[in-house]
Amino acid sequence: MKTVLKLLGIVVMLLGGHFMLSSFVGDAPAYKFPWRQVGLTERQAAAHLLSRFSYGAMPGQVDAVMQEGLENWWAKQLAADLPDDTLEALLRRYDALQLTNEQVVNLYPRLGQVAKMAIRDGVVNKDSIKTDRREYREMIRAYMSEKGYKPEQDLFRQFICQKILRAAYSNNQLQEVLTDFWFNHFNVSITKNDCAEFIPAYERDVIRPNSLGKFGDLLLKTAKSPAMLYYLDNFSSAVAVPEGAGMGAASLPGGDGTGDSAVEMAIAGKGADSETVAQVRQFRRSRGLNENYAREVMELHTLGVDGGYTQQDVTQAARVLTGWTVYPMNENAKKFVNRFNPDQLARRGFVHEGDFLFNANRHDKGEKMVLGHVFPAGGGYEEGVELLEMLAHHPSTARFICRKIAVRFVSDDPPQSLIDKMAKTFLQKDGDIRQVLITMVTAPEFWSPAAIREKTKSPFELAIGAVRSLHATIDQPYPLYTWITRMGEKMYYYQAPTGFPDKGVYWINAGSLLNRMNFGLALAEGQVPGVRVDLVTGRIPGMKADLADSAEAVGVAIGSPEYQRR
Amino acid sequence: MVVSRRGFLKSGGIALFGVGLMGGIPSFMAEAAASEKVGRPYKRRRVLVCIFQRGAMDGLMAVTPFGDAYLKAARPNLFVGDGLTDLDGRWGLHRGLKAFEPLFREGRLGIVHGIGSPNNTRSHFDAQDYMESGTPFNKGTASGWLNRAVGLLGHDALTPFTAVSLTPALPRSLYGDNPSLAISNLQDFAIQLKGDPAVAAAAARSFEDSYVKAAPGMLEETGKKSFEAMKVLQAADIRNYRPAGGAIYPNSSLGSSMRQIAQLIKMDVGLEVAFTESSGWDTHFNQGTDNGIFARSATDLGDSIAAFWKDLDIYQDDVTVMTMTEFGRTVHQNGTGGTDHGRASCNFILGNQVAGGKVYGDVKALTVENLEDGRDLPVTTDFRSVFSAVADVHLQIANDKILFPDWSGVKASIMKA
Repeated sequence: MKTVLKLLGIVVMLLGGHFMLSSFVGDAPAYKFPWRQVGLTERQAAAHLLSRFSYGAMPGQVDAVMQEGLENWWAKQLAADLPDDTLEALLRRYDALQLTNEQVVNLYPRLGQVAKMAIRDGVVNKDSIKTDRREYREMIRAYMSEKGYKPEQDLFRQFICQKILRAAYSNNQLQEVLTDFWFNHFNVSITKNDCAEFIPAYERDVIRPNSLGKFGDLLLKTAKSPAMLYYLDNFSSAVAVPEGAGMGAASLPGGDGTGDSAVEMAIAGKGADSETVAQVRQFRRSRGLNENYAREVMELHTLGVDGGYTQQDVTQAARVLTGWTVYPMNENAKKFVNRFNPDQLARRGFVHEGDFLFNANRHDKGEKMVLGHVFPAGGGYEEGVELLEMLAHHPSTARFICRKIAVRFVSDDPPQSLIDKMAKTFLQKDGDIRQVLITMVTAPEFWSPAAIREKTKSPFELAIGAVRSLHATIDQPYPLYTWITRMGEKMYYYQAPTGFPDKGVYWINAGSLLNRMNFGLALAEGQVPGVRVDLVTGRIPGMKADLADSAEAVGVAIGSPEYQRR
Repeated sequence: MVVSRRGFLKSGGIALFGVGLMGGIPSFMAEAAASEKVGRPYKRRRVLVCIFQRGAMDGLMAVTPFGDAYLKAARPNLFVGDGLTDLDGRWGLHRGLKAFEPLFREGRLGIVHGIGSPNNTRSHFDAQDYMESGTPFNKGTASGWLNRAVGLLGHDALTPFTAVSLTPALPRSLYGDNPSLAISNLQDFAIQLKGDPAVAAAAARSFEDSYVKAAPGMLEETGKKSFEAMKVLQAADIRNYRPAGGAIYPNSSLGSSMRQIAQLIKMDVGLEVAFTESSGWDTHFNQGTDNGIFARSATDLGDSIAAFWKDLDIYQDDVTVMTMTEFGRTVHQNGTGGTDHGRASCNFILGNQVAGGKVYGDVKALTVENLEDGRDLPVTTDFRSVFSAVADVHLQIANDKILFPDWSGVKASIMKA
């Protein structure tokens, strides 16, 4: 019994904290959170707020938020512009985080490509290739380091490390929580090779900067990103060309058809290596209509499966989005396509923005109708934008997205009254995510006793929450990822476009729960490599003296049922 | 068989769980047993074991139409003539799979050739995704077909071990609302702390306290099951397991997975759907013939399954094993001594309810005009017609509309009626 009491004490400490941090009073927002009306104390309200919009309270943080004022803390999180010098210093240790997609492609070639290049350069004899042999792997490794290529796995490792560091240490916690939310909503997966290397830039440039912006911007930018274009195959989607029609209808422009011959020459000529040829072929060849993105953008990204669209709408939307593809990034392919005059491209309806390419020649120029809206014949890039805007502002989308936000931030089964309020704001405020969040957090339903500690932490939330609770120092983030995977959340590797399900029963099973307990134990006992936990008195502000030699009790607290909730 | 197994359970099986369990039989086992009495009085629990061969197995090398002159011409360096086991005068089993021969001759092992997906993607990712979701034209299907199968068993997932994947992460096949467990090693199913078993044992008691004494809820219920399951596994002495009949599993990842699946089956902890995977099938380079990359993977597959079958011993009646792979490989060998991504492959189904001893499927002579796109073995059997037939006869899952929502084909007649 004594251990149970001690345990409860530790849990309370982990959840609440006792310490005061210096206060800061900024411009107070015009609204007040209605926690008092539903019978919460201010401490409970502050703890709830932190449990929903951060990766867990750090020691003393509940008091600090009370001191600051709940609305003030929230306003700063919404603004997401708090300085993050400590975090940025930590992230500077990783050299791949700021690379463009093009730099990534040319620095981290895929293993299959490396093998081909090594054969071409005569370094590896094609008959000696044995992918499972050590000497072959050594040869490839030597070839890569000589060429300055790096293994793709290093890129993903850095990317995963940055996510852990940001979640643990960013002052702009809400932005990190929302980045995770929107990434999962617009899921892409490292399991799909074609899109894998574009995922770091996808999160960095598409998801995070727009996570508190307009939903329509997120939708359009994900649609145009290489990660999504490859993940859901739209990069290959083109107007169906009747067999035997040749390349005419789907060729590169060259002013007056000379583009075709230039392509043919480049391919036929000895100068072009096989990757160039492959990329150029991909750039120009029609593979016919691919509906995958068009279907999922309606089912998963906007309207929801019951959002009122038909298979006919899917096919028509896919036609609207034909020609939305990725601009070639391989250095040789780029040299080749750069020969084309940008003005000429623009005149023919091509749109080149960063990594995105609208290939007008692959676009289906016929008339289409989606959800009763007619896209007249002869349209180009703009009709795809129009389609996505229409979807972003559809009432079904408002309901679907707002429900998903409420599930993430309120409870696994949020009240319909709350969703209705949020959806109304969504429609009135042009899908402004900040406004929708304000509607949610100023509604009594958000503070309802039914919502308090209703959510089950995901393995990532558990791991980061524990690190924050214990004020632990992460020297090397990757071992935490190994644990998070073992607990059931292999981040960035969820294969299906649905993203991880956001409900407690998904995360909790007999095996994953044991791993959560083992994680708590390992962390508190200092057995998670690269993570320093110092339980000595004074190290953690406010921690009672007798905890110094109670690593086991701390571990048990982290694995306890109460700590699995937030 | 029925009697002897029941007898075994009464005398040895359940008693085994009693060892070291203060409360005797774990409550999830008792619940499962009770509900079975009510729901399915005379039915025994059946187990479907699925092995996904990731990378796309060359079905034409695994089971070769050895008399086909076109294949011989298309594969000057990859045609396997010697070392084959002639199954029926037309089809020959690759040397690596020779452990399958007796099972085939006994009529327990069936082979379907020309199996694949109606979606002609040659992307590993997409084809695996479609095969595992069971909806070859729909990416957004949230659940996997095996998870839906769990939901169609006619009862709730009664124990933590109803659906288990011997993989580090849950496979797409088991995504979904029905509880399923991914675990790469059963020994990890414990409270443990490196180098300090005493602390781990003390912590285990505190953990159990914290879950048992807490207010009831989803977490607490699951927590109790965790501890019960942990004790069951501890009592069974996983580490010192000795396979029956002198079965020897290959010292490989697949061999270890299959051994652990057999252990779970014999512990009778409620396993009904098991999943694991086999790798090394993406043979673009130097595929080899009797020896080489393909032969190694084939030997691992054949020997793992054969050892598993032998080890099952008196449990054989309850188990069906089915392999699957995302697509097959080109009929022609490529420029690097391998084969590229193709269309149809073959699969293996092993069990006493399988109408085995036969190579099923509609495979014509491999002339160019008989090939898909002039290069690949065409898909003549939809994978869903085979999967649904196995689920129907073996697991009594007749609802194809839920199992394979977009499919309305005919089940393959590969099982005994």
